[in-house]
Amino acid sequence: MFAAFLSTVCGSLLGICVTCLSAFAVTLIFRTSTTANFAQASIAAFGCYVVADCLNNRGIPVYIGVFIGMAIGVAIGLFIDLLVFRKGRYINELGKQIITMGFVSLFFGGTPLVFGNPEFIPFESFYNTTKAGTDSNIVINAFGGEIVFTKHALICTAITVVVLGTIFILLKVSKWGLGVRTTASSEFTAELMGIDTHVITAISWALACALGVLAAVMYAGGGAMISASFMAIIQVNAFLACILGGFSTFYGSVVGAILIPVITNCVGFLANFPAFHNISRWQLVIVYLLLMIVILIKPQGLFGKKVVKKV
Amino acid sequence: MNTDLRKDYLGIVFEKHRKLTAKERVGKALHIPLTQYLVFSAVLISFYILMQGGAVTSSFVFAIGNTMIYAIMAIGFCLLMGYSGLASLGTAGFVGIGAYIAFYLVQEYGYTFGVAFIVTVAVAIVTGIMVGFISLRIEGIYLAILTLGLSEILRNTFISLKSSIKIDMSKIQILGAKIGENEVYLLILLVFVVLLWITSNLIHSPVGRALLSVKNSSSAAQAMGINLMKYRVLAFVISTIYAAIAGLLYMMYLRNMTTSTSTLLAMTTSLNILGAVVIGGAKSLWGTSFGVFIIYGLQSTLLSKIAFFVENPAFITMLTGLMIILIVMFFPGGIAQIASNLARKYRESKLRKNVERRIEAYGRI
Repeated sequence: MFAAFLSTVCGSLLGICVTCLSAFAVTLIFRTSTTANFAQASIAAFGCYVVADCLNNRGIPVYIGVFIGMAIGVAIGLFIDLLVFRKGRYINELGKQIITMGFVSLFFGGTPLVFGNPEFIPFESFYNTTKAGTDSNIVINAFGGEIVFTKHALICTAITVVVLGTIFILLKVSKWGLGVRTTASSEFTAELMGIDTHVITAISWALACALGVLAAVMYAGGGAMISASFMAIIQVNAFLACILGGFSTFYGSVVGAILIPVITNCVGFLANFPAFHNISRWQLVIVYLLLMIVILIKPQGLFGKKVVKKV
Repeated sequence: MNTDLRKDYLGIVFEKHRKLTAKERVGKALHIPLTQYLVFSAVLISFYILMQGGAVTSSFVFAIGNTMIYAIMAIGFCLLMGYSGLASLGTAGFVGIGAYIAFYLVQEYGYTFGVAFIVTVAVAIVTGIMVGFISLRIEGIYLAILTLGLSEILRNTFISLKSSIKIDMSKIQILGAKIGENEVYLLILLVFVVLLWITSNLIHSPVGRALLSVKNSSSAAQAMGINLMKYRVLAFVISTIYAAIAGLLYMMYLRNMTTSTSTLLAMTTSLNILGAVVIGGAKSLWGTSFGVFIIYGLQSTLLSKIAFFVENPAFITMLTGLMIILIVMFFPGGIAQIASNLARKYRESKLRKNVERRIEAYGRI
């Protein structure tokens, strides 16, 4: 039973990676430009379509195509920050949020116009699993049972750990990281201290959109059908992860993003017990309700700090 | 004294006391909201009558009815966003509440429309208060995220309850009488116009003023003795009620929904309603209704003959997004603001011409 449980937890590995990257991207934008980026998922889906187009129509392999997709993501991110947020005449916090919602509509409508119908992408070909006839799973015998991973999930985990690890180290030690942390705590003071906050927010948007595309490609590689809204569920989870972990720290959102897929799969695992055999229908509802209860008890999130307003 | 000048002079002096001409009286009456709504409903009823005569296609009238359902959601949202400054993405979930109550009460248990309506409003009030208290505890910017999550919860709950719902026409009764397919249009019209009127009165009542003050400055409103939580929850509850009523009417009108594939309960609806309110003008009920028409009605009424729009239904979604972005960037009051700006410019130019004419005629004013 324990091996089956471990297998269930490992099954959520890909979900964890994708949610972590998305949640970190959302937090990065939230901290530096005080807006929740609702277009995160749609930009990511657009970039993923570009990668799929490169693979299917132009024969460019995924490991090159993903950089092209990320470059498109960077371009879109810079466009939103430099040309929309800075040029608008009446932009406030609510307005920024609504603009990102406008981008969601733009991409929901525009993506099918540019790329046509939703498509399925044979990402397995990248790993040579189908061609060489090898198994796409890795099986470890332990705890009196079999623990199953997919190779794709393991590769994605490695990439996520390297990427997020690098970014966290850069946040801690580099000048850019110092700039981001200062801008996050107070944009006005950061400007007074001589930090070019415009450059910091622009880099944050570019980085966040690139991470989004990376996450979307990973998710599509796991067998999801690509459509303009295929990342929507990941985005909802990423937002909830950010709220669960608290927006006030960068690592909080990542911890939240690890917890949500694990809890979801654990609730699903309960279906193995006869008393809960019907639970898989209510899996998401139960997880979201649990999250709501946590938020009700701790509105600042698990790692959030309470901000005391001074008059 | 020149007689013309004398007449003009007396005209200015007695402007206020003279008898109004018929044209002016009509113009004055049209400034009263209730008259506007009556004229508006007369126009919409005329579509129904024209359809009976065969002058208008039934698909046109159907599209107008459909648009009105979305407009009901939008005027509730207008109150929430334009008057209390809260952006919620939970509309779709609350629409689902109305739709499922309609299915269970009308189809499964055979109650009349009135009973379903009262139950819908009651459930919406309870849900709105609960959700409002949870989500408004957290600072404003999280509200959209949290309501997005809640709407996902509701959608998943509905899919788990029953993945596809259907109401038979024969089951729909109002006050014990069965009604036909086309008469539901009149029912929607009645509900829509009454809600418009109620909302407009609410906006101009002390409650509306309190909401507006909360939006403009929460600290100043608090200092004036306004309970922030009370008014925010109130606005939230009202928008929830409107969304649930829209869901109920949707099930009466379309009578069929596959929850897992329908866009009605997905994030698209919440986004489109928000888009409609932003495009039309968050403070104007007419602007909001017009915004809804652009998003939901334009395609199926006026553009249905143009091949490009039929082949690319996503184009209008893209256009909506573009309009939202441009309007937030440059015209925060939406189309309503653009229209009122144009009207003011026209009035000013007319006045200027009038003054110039007098100066030309008499050499002085």
